Amino acid sequence: MIDFSLNEDLELIVDTIRSFSNERVLPKIRTFESDRRVDGEVSREFAMAGFDRLELPESLGGSGLGMLARVLVNEEMGAVDPGAALALDRLGPAFYALEAFGGLNALAQFARPIVETEGKRAVLVLESDSTFDVEHGRVSGAVPWIPSGRADLVVILSDTGARVVEHGSSLQPLRGSGLRAAGSASLRLEHAPVIAQWQDPRKAAQALAKARLYAASLLLGVLRGASEFSRNYAMNREAFGRPIAHHQGLAFLIVDMYTAVESVRLLVHDAALKIDSGEDGTQHAAAAFVEAVEASRFIGPNGVQILGGHGFMQDYPVEKAMRESRALGLWMGGIDRARDDAGKFLE
Amino acid sequence: MDFEIDKELRREIEETREWGEREVRPAGLEADRNGAPLPIDHPYFRRYLEHGGGRTRWHGPGAEPARGSSGGGVLKSVIIGEEISYWDRGMTIANPGVGLPEGIVLASATEEQKERFLGPFLKPDRPRWASFALTEPGGGSDTANFKTRARRDGKHWILTGAKCFIGNASRADWILVQANADPEKGRSGQRAFFVEQGTPGLGGFKIEKKMGLKAYESTSFTLEECRIPENNLLGEAGRSAEKSDGGEKSSKGYKSTMSTLNASRPGVAASAIGIARAALDESIAFARANDLVKQVRVRDRLELFQRKLRAAWLMVLKSAWLADQGKPNIVEASMGKVYAAEIAQDIATLAMELLGVVGARGDHLIEKLYRDVKALNIVEGTGQIQRVIMGRQLVGLPR
Repeated sequence: MIDFSLNEDLELIVDTIRSFSNERVLPKIRTFESDRRVDGEVSREFAMAGFDRLELPESLGGSGLGMLARVLVNEEMGAVDPGAALALDRLGPAFYALEAFGGLNALAQFARPIVETEGKRAVLVLESDSTFDVEHGRVSGAVPWIPSGRADLVVILSDTGARVVEHGSSLQPLRGSGLRAAGSASLRLEHAPVIAQWQDPRKAAQALAKARLYAASLLLGVLRGASEFSRNYAMNREAFGRPIAHHQGLAFLIVDMYTAVESVRLLVHDAALKIDSGEDGTQHAAAAFVEAVEASRFIGPNGVQILGGHGFMQDYPVEKAMRESRALGLWMGGIDRARDDAGKFLE
Repeated sequence: MDFEIDKELRREIEETREWGEREVRPAGLEADRNGAPLPIDHPYFRRYLEHGGGRTRWHGPGAEPARGSSGGGVLKSVIIGEEISYWDRGMTIANPGVGLPEGIVLASATEEQKERFLGPFLKPDRPRWASFALTEPGGGSDTANFKTRARRDGKHWILTGAKCFIGNASRADWILVQANADPEKGRSGQRAFFVEQGTPGLGGFKIEKKMGLKAYESTSFTLEECRIPENNLLGEAGRSAEKSDGGEKSSKGYKSTMSTLNASRPGVAASAIGIARAALDESIAFARANDLVKQVRVRDRLELFQRKLRAAWLMVLKSAWLADQGKPNIVEASMGKVYAAEIAQDIATLAMELLGVVGARGDHLIEKLYRDVKALNIVEGTGQIQRVIMGRQLVGLPR
């Protein structure tokens, strides 16, 4: 029956990751951004707490948790620094393609070495965002942007299957619009040997659904962070003899931003519950992603707007949230592809 | 965390769906075509009683459980309410029964008052209505600024004023009228009074002509030196407070009114969602029948309807769930109300665009839904009022 509460385990996870993100990540977000990386100490603490292997099966040393746990963790991390969240979760959404197609064997073969070796990163790229040629078991091509400074394992997801590449890739560092703490680069593959490949359109759709939900939940966090920061600012900043939040024009805007965040959260949780219960969550995940991206167009710029000129300056995090929400919205195929999948109930 | 509706409730929804499709939609369409509420002796109302409707939730002596009142709280009533609104929102108000005042009477009335005013609704011998009169001309959402006055005269109260947009008032056995017994105290002077039909001074009933929701009567009426017995003042607290010097007890009348509105916002929001879901289903049917689904612009529009509707529904369910948990839901109830009502209006508006000139003919269900749904962003606090309520909670917006 309908229940909007979290069980004790999930509440504990949320409390823990919230403390971690606020105490260990928040003080360093501008450092991480300028360094294009998260420092090793924070990374080790994240791993020690098991957050880098949240969904990895217990038999492989992970926590074996599901999509709901993932989106809760991502919301908390995204609210502080989504770039750091990507840097710290070194499997990222590549996990979903390996899990969907290769199951336990693929996770043991490809995912476990990533989490067991400090600094390694796996990346998931969509064939639709790239130009690839495959010849004699080798893949060549380029991806214009990935939010990572390393690519020790590349999983290429198409509409019909997936390929895994370990060697033969090179990265060209980029400045990046947002998510700089994760690193930012273009990826080139030159005759890179494909070490595993699978074909199954249904599993490809499942993997993409989870990857989209991963992105949507990070976006949710960014939107919450921007919305809350600008709300608190508006309650403290005075103009014309009262807090600017008490001018109805701003009060209503803040209320609408709060509502937009909640609408994203509910759709993200809805899709996560569907996926965890074994239902086909592809349309729900796509809808959650679309909602998150649409909300980001509203909240990102208005978070800056509420702070006025200060919002435009890098002294405050709202400009960062505006950039990062845009970057996340372009990731995992972007909103137009997601809208295609969200509308499949009409077929 | 779980967003699924359980099997038992699904069965009740299915029963509601069958009743709604067979009885409620045709009755609503008939009223809409006639431009007037169904008359009191319409056979629909008898069938509604036979179906188990029109009964009070009060468990008085000899009570038979009312349909849909076997427990489950706000969440269940919201879910069933959404389904019935899908078939016709206007008929949900037109249906016989205690209706809107029931919650406040159950919460605040004395046992003697419950016996007297809810008793006839335990096993009604005929379709019976009750009514709740809050809104006044020139005083919509500003409930603290009512002009209707109540003054003590021995063992009676004398009520003077005017009310408007009151559901089912002319056909009600009694109307629970909100009036101010001590204007100097502002909102804390407010009380609620049972005014029985036929009481001298109660009159001037005028059934308004509305844009939509024509199935139920929205009525204005006047109270001219309307004399009612002192024990028609709702509850004990109000009476004792009237004798005292105000303080905490004296604001109970206002607070009980406002708590009723808070509790009912999820229900109003759910009815907006019911209308919007009907508009979505009609839109999909129209798009399929006219081979429009493959057009990206049409598909994107329908996808938007579906997505926003789901978000709104979850928002409303959450506000209802919080109410059932006894947890504060002021922000969530207002958020669900404003979001659902605005999304529903958007959906009906865009659905009209989907119809094109067919929508302009005035005979398509979507056209009716477009007219009906507008009221949901007005009743029980406009979208702007809901934002003010949220603003008070979220940023301390001053009163």
